Amino acid sequence: MKKGYIVLIAIVVVFLCIFFWFKGSYNGMVQMSEKVSEQWSNVENQYQRRLDLIPNLVNTVKGYANHEEKTLTDVVNARAKATQTQINFDNLNEATIKKLNQTQGELSSALSRLMAISESYPDLKANQNFLELQAQLEGTENRIAVERRKFNEVVRTYNADIRKFPRNIVAGMFGFTPKPYFEATSGAENAPKVEF
Amino acid sequence: MKYALLHILLWLCITHVSAQDFPDPMVPPRLVNDYTQLLSKAEQNRLEEKLQNFNDTTSTQISVATVPSLNGYEANDYAQRLAEKWGVGQQGKNNGILLLVKPKTRTEKGQVAIAVGYGLEGAVPDAIASRIIRNEIIPEFQNDRYYDGINKATNILMKLTSGEYSTDQYGNDEWGEAIFTGIFVVIFLLIILFSRFKSKGKGSGPFIFWGSLGGGLSGGSSSGNRGFGGFRGGSFGGGGASGSW
Repeated sequence: MKKGYIVLIAIVVVFLCIFFWFKGSYNGMVQMSEKVSEQWSNVENQYQRRLDLIPNLVNTVKGYANHEEKTLTDVVNARAKATQTQINFDNLNEATIKKLNQTQGELSSALSRLMAISESYPDLKANQNFLELQAQLEGTENRIAVERRKFNEVVRTYNADIRKFPRNIVAGMFGFTPKPYFEATSGAENAPKVEF
Repeated sequence: MKYALLHILLWLCITHVSAQDFPDPMVPPRLVNDYTQLLSKAEQNRLEEKLQNFNDTTSTQISVATVPSLNGYEANDYAQRLAEKWGVGQQGKNNGILLLVKPKTRTEKGQVAIAVGYGLEGAVPDAIASRIIRNEIIPEFQNDRYYDGINKATNILMKLTSGEYSTDQYGNDEWGEAIFTGIFVVIFLLIILFSRFKSKGKGSGPFIFWGSLGGGLSGGSSSGNRGFGGFRGGSFGGGGASGSW
């Protein structure tokens, strides 16, 4: 009789332990996944900020340097392309992030060409409006670099967490999948230089 | 075992290198961290006092740092990473600003950057930070008037950010504490009164209570803030601007 009780208690205790471990790891993963998603929206916000800045910039440059038709249309086209490739967090994977990297990278290089040609227009360089847009663009490039770096850091912790044994079992059961990184190889990790 | 040792050694090497890239804040903590002796002692103290007062009244931390080299980083990037590492500003409010100066040398241009914490990006937009650098800092720096440039810039930054945050949190905490102790005192008084009613003659007990209460109260209220308490974990998202001369 007494033995039966002990066995029962032991079973209950073991069961509770397993339950709380499951609960702990599951909730931990949910929390971390939320963090990754939050950081992703920070990255997207900064890309959006850059997109919003471009029309103004293009118009200002146009006023002074209307011979540079090609460079200007390059920027406009790259912007249009980048506007189309926005990734929902749920669709975030190696392929989509690569595409985003590519279109945003093209926009970056189109922009830096635009900034380079403004070098030969002294009136433009002295324009207050242009100077402020330039400062805003620099700040935005900076913010993009920072948010990307922070995103990579958050993803690194998250990925390490869901891959570790035995939590990977829970991760597999509830469909927590590893998230992709921004590759540093594109050189976008460091803010592109906007020199004058 | 061998591998473990190698691992530790490697890890030490790596952390050592990255620590050298970005210096630690000075101990005891200060808001003006002049690693290149760009300013005289008197100038440093004047700046320090001004910025500490500002921190005490608004909780916004404006820090000044000078470094001998940016170690290959862009000025903006370096300032953001250093500010994030130090945690300039209050955690949660992210109301920190770092003014970074890399003095001019014979072969290199001087670099200056303002890193603005997340919480102050509205008060100090990039265009404004850039204007401060172009119009206030660079002209003074070009004439080797480093103190004047930094002083002017920090004055403007203080004006811009003074309405943003207040020390409300500390104020609230103190009020909460005061109310709490007030309620405690009332309850104690009631207990004492009741005990008096119940057992006349035992008058010595309550006086002990009085003594201990008095001590507790005076101890709580005299927590003045002298000196700078250190950076409090503010976060930076890359806002601000940079320039060179």
